[in-house]
Amino acid sequence: MNNSISSSSDASPIQFNLPPLSLSLFDAEPSTPQEEPNGVVHGSSVSHFEDSISNEIEEMSIRDHPPSVSNDSQTSWFPGKRHLDEDDASISWRKRKKHFFVLSHSGKPIYSRYGDEHKLAGFSATLQAIISFVENGGDRVKLVRAGKHQVVFLVKGPIYLVCISCTEEPYESLRRQLDLIYGQMIVILTKSVNRCFEKNPKFDMTSLLGGTDTVFSSLIHSFCWNPATFLHAYTCLPLACATRQAAGAILQDVADSGVLFAILMCRHKVISLFGAQKASLHPDDMLLLANFVMSSESFRTSEAFSPVCLPRYNPLAFLYAYIHYFDDDTYLMLLTTSSDAFYHLKDCRIRIETVLLKSNVLDEVKRSLFDGGMHIEDLPPLSHSGSSPHLGQHSLRLDSPERLRESNSSAGGAAGLWHFIYRSLYLDQYVSSEFSSPINTHQQQKRLYRAYQKLFASMHEKGIGPHKTQFKRDENYVLLCWVTQDFELYAAFDPLADKASAIKTCNRVCQWVKDVESEIFLLGGSPFSW
Amino acid sequence: MPSRRRTLLKVIILGDSGVGKTSLMNQYVNKKFSNQYKATIGADFLTKEVQFEDRLFTLQIWDTAGQERFQSLGVAFYRGADCCVLVYDVNSMKSFENLNNWREEFLIQANPSDPENFPFVVIGNKIDIDGGNSRVVSEKKARAWCASKGNIPYYETSAKEGINVEEAFQCIAKNALKSGEEEELYLPDTIDVGNSNQQRATGCEC
Repeated sequence: MNNSISSSSDASPIQFNLPPLSLSLFDAEPSTPQEEPNGVVHGSSVSHFEDSISNEIEEMSIRDHPPSVSNDSQTSWFPGKRHLDEDDASISWRKRKKHFFVLSHSGKPIYSRYGDEHKLAGFSATLQAIISFVENGGDRVKLVRAGKHQVVFLVKGPIYLVCISCTEEPYESLRRQLDLIYGQMIVILTKSVNRCFEKNPKFDMTSLLGGTDTVFSSLIHSFCWNPATFLHAYTCLPLACATRQAAGAILQDVADSGVLFAILMCRHKVISLFGAQKASLHPDDMLLLANFVMSSESFRTSEAFSPVCLPRYNPLAFLYAYIHYFDDDTYLMLLTTSSDAFYHLKDCRIRIETVLLKSNVLDEVKRSLFDGGMHIEDLPPLSHSGSSPHLGQHSLRLDSPERLRESNSSAGGAAGLWHFIYRSLYLDQYVSSEFSSPINTHQQQKRLYRAYQKLFASMHEKGIGPHKTQFKRDENYVLLCWVTQDFELYAAFDPLADKASAIKTCNRVCQWVKDVESEIFLLGGSPFSW
Repeated sequence: MPSRRRTLLKVIILGDSGVGKTSLMNQYVNKKFSNQYKATIGADFLTKEVQFEDRLFTLQIWDTAGQERFQSLGVAFYRGADCCVLVYDVNSMKSFENLNNWREEFLIQANPSDPENFPFVVIGNKIDIDGGNSRVVSEKKARAWCASKGNIPYYETSAKEGINVEEAFQCIAKNALKSGEEEELYLPDTIDVGNSNQQRATGCEC
C-alpha cells in the first residue's frame, strides 16, 4: 500500500550550493550505547487520574480564533473533548478535517478525537474489519486514499490506531502522530496493558483511561503548534548561561541522591535537566511527559506523585514522578523508580526551590518568557566579530518594554526572512525563532508548521534521500532547508525573496545560533546519550 | 467522579444467509422491517444503547454475512466477542442443522477462554410465515438442541412483526454482560534500577 503515496511537494526541489560553513557548530559528544532497560520488581496499581471537566467546555473551533499576535498559540486553546454529541451519522462529524481513533483488536472503541466513543462503536468495528481483513491475507494496511482523505493505520499489538485526515499532511507525519498518541497511552498505562488483551481479547481499555481525554486532545492540538512533534528534538527556554548552570547544578545534586531524572521546565521548554548516570531521556519521552503533566489540571493545584511510563526508556514498567509547579508556567519533575520516595522527593524539591529562589532563576525564567528568544529582526550581520553577542543585543526591547514592533506587511528579517527552526543533531535540541509579522495569527503559524512538516518529511524520505538542501517557492513562502551532519535548518521567507540573499541569510542564521548557543541550548555536562 | 462507567458489549450474529439476521437487527435497533432481501456484504455494524438494572451499556452488533464466501473473515470478526447469537429460519431444516457448524466455527475462531460457558443465544426466526404452516423445525427439537449444548437460551421471533425481538436482545445483553463481569487485573510493573547485574550484560562498560 505504501507505493500509493506520492511525493508531496508541488515545486520540485532545486539543488543548489550553499557557501560552505567552515565551522562545525557543536562538538560531538561521545555517544554511549542506549542502556537496556531493566526488568521488573513489584506490581503496583495505577493511581486515579482526575476526572475530565471537558464536558462543560463550550464548542470552539480553531477557525473562530481572532487573529492574535501571541507567540504562544496554545494558550488560547482549551483542552478537552468536544462535540461529544456527534457520531458518524452527523454531518458536522463527517466534515471534521482530522480524526484520530484508537480501538482494540476486537473492534471496541478506546478513544476518538471527536464524538462519543460508544456512539461510534459501529464505526470502530468497521475500522477493525478493514484492518483484520487485510491482515487475514497476510498483509498490512498502511494507507488508504479516498478522494481528499487519507486513512492512515498503525497496528501496535492489540491496539489499533487510525487517522482520517484531509489536511494534506504527508503520510509519514500522520503516522508519526499516531505513534505519539500510542506513546501517550503507554505513558499512562505502560505496555502491560497488552497482557490484559492476551488473557482476554474482549478486554475494554476505556475504563483504564478514564479522565485522560484532555491529555490526548492537548497532544493532538500540539501537532499543529509544537515542532517537537515532528522534529524528534526538544527546545530550551533561552536563559543566560549562568542562570541555566545554577539550575543545572542543583538538579545534578538531587540526581546524585537517587533521582533518575530531574527536569525543570517552563511550559514545553526545558530550563535544565539532569539524569542519573547512564540514564538517558529521549526527546519524545520528554514531549509526552510534559504534555501529560501540562494537560492534567490537578498537577497545577498541588504537588503530586504519579506513576508514569517513559516509552523510550522502558515501555514495560512504571516510574514515579513527583510533580510540582513553582508558578503558572514553571514546573519540576523528579522521576524515580521507588514508589515510596514521595517524601524524599519533596525534600529534594524544597532544596531545589531554595536554590532557584536564591539565584533568581525563577525571575529570569519569567523575564525570558516575556522577552522571548530569537527575534528575526535582531539577526546580526554575518561579518560581526569581536565581542560575543547576546540575545536581544540588537533589539529595541530593552529600551521599550511594550515591545512596539513594526507590524506592517513588509516586516520580517533580512532578505524577507520570516521564521526559522534550527535543529542540532548532536544535542537533540531545536531552536525556533519567535513568530512575528506577517506570521502572527494562529492560522498562519499552523500553516507554516505544516509546510515545515512537509519539508521535514521530504528531506527524510527513505529511498530518495539523503537530501542536503531544498529550495521551494510557492504562493505562500520561499522555504529553504539545509541538512548537514551537525544540524538542520528550516527557514521561511517572503515568497518574493531573492534566492541568493536567502542563502546568505541562512548562513547568518547559523552563525547567530552558534554565537548564542550557550543561551538557547542546554550544553554539555548532561549525561545525555542515545 | 461523575463519569458513569459504561460497558461496551460486542455481539456477533451468525447463521445461514437469508434467515433474517439483518432484519432482526434492524427491527431491534431501528424498529423497521423491509420485505426486500439485501444480502449483507462482509458485515454490518450497528450500535444500540441499552439500560439494564440502572446501568447503561452499548451493544456493538456485528451482523455478518451468511454466505460462505465471507467466512474467511472468521478470526478477525469473532475476536473478543461478548456474546454470539445463532439465528436459523424455522421454515428451513438446513439452516437449523447448520447451527452446529456455526457454533463450532465460532468457538474455533474466537477461541474464548471458557468455551463451555461462552454465552450463546439461539433465535428461530420467521415464525410469522404462512401463519406457521410452513414450519419444519419444531420448537421442541430446537429446545432439545439448545439443552444439549449447555442450556443455550432459545427464542422464537418474527423480525417482520417484531415478535419477541426485544425480549431476545434483552437476554443477549444480559448474558453478554454476565460474561464480561470477570475483569482482568491490570498490574503494571515498576522499573528496578538498583539491581543492575543483568542490565550490564549487554551494554558497554564505559
